[in-house]
Amino acid sequence: MTQTENLLRQLPTELGGLDAGPVERVEHEYLPWEKRCHALANVLDIRKIVNTEEKRRGIESLGGEIVGKLTYYERWIIAFANILFQKQILTPDELARKMEEVSSRSSGDTVRCD
Amino acid sequence: MNAHAHPHTPVPDPGNSTLGYYEIMETAVRELLVAKRVIGADEIRRMLEVMDSRTPALGAKVVARAWVDPEFRARLLEKGRAAVGEFGIDLFENTELIVLQNTDKVHNLIVCTLCSCYPREVLGLPPDWYKLKPYRARAVKEPRAVLAEFGTVIPDDVEVRVSDSTSMVRYLVLPQRPPNTENFGEEQLASLVTRDAMIGVVKANTPEAKERTR
Repeated sequence: MTQTENLLRQLPTELGGLDAGPVERVEHEYLPWEKRCHALANVLDIRKIVNTEEKRRGIESLGGEIVGKLTYYERWIIAFANILFQKQILTPDELARKMEEVSSRSSGDTVRCD
Repeated sequence: MNAHAHPHTPVPDPGNSTLGYYEIMETAVRELLVAKRVIGADEIRRMLEVMDSRTPALGAKVVARAWVDPEFRARLLEKGRAAVGEFGIDLFENTELIVLQNTDKVHNLIVCTLCSCYPREVLGLPPDWYKLKPYRARAVKEPRAVLAEFGTVIPDDVEVRVSDSTSMVRYLVLPQRPPNTENFGEEQLASLVTRDAMIGVVKANTPEAKERTR
């Protein structure tokens, strides 16, 4: 089998049956933003905006390198942003502007909690 | 639009912000969706409350009931979704819940090789190791070796069955009732049932083992 054929055998998220190291029983307390990201996923699913299959495809389409390097909920939020652009619910420009605003609001000593 | 990378943003300088890049993105997406009335202002907070109410204690209650009530156990094994409904547990839309009973002859293990499907309504959010490559890759190929890494050694004459979850079909393992629990009430029994026992990577605690971990 050539090297490129090998690449086609499995999607980056399709791991069943691959070789891998020992299972380390790692766990971390979910961070507040990670839980909010999960809640967002549930709400988007309930509202018929993004279903589980679309979410999985959205993550697969990030490509192997991003899937490999980002943490679980980092992949989710990127996938959601892309899906919401594709569905023309958000635009990249408005997300960029909003991220600037959120970022500057949280800068320095005067963190606003709302 | 570039569907592969993150949006073309003037990337906020993380040095100035107390929030990380992805947390900023999460906050921005959420606030935009609320501002556009795609989702309600209170919806995420209410969903967080629902999520917080889902813990392995719910699954443990279901298991303990199945141990003491043969009729409930029969209903649970027949139609998992309807049976957990008796506890007020509501699965999302048409998602099926299949309860897998461990016996002297069969040990069950659940996994999601594609992503992270998990019976969240009865167990809450999954642990990290359930979502990481080693467990997902190897559970379907060498389950006995994976179980041994959790300290669970299954005799050769016991069949190990691995069930691979999907978005529509979730599994829950019904562990075997531990010995020396004949006089235990439901609540005491439930205290022996851990999350990992309902994933199938360990057995339910014996009263002696539970005493040691106190």
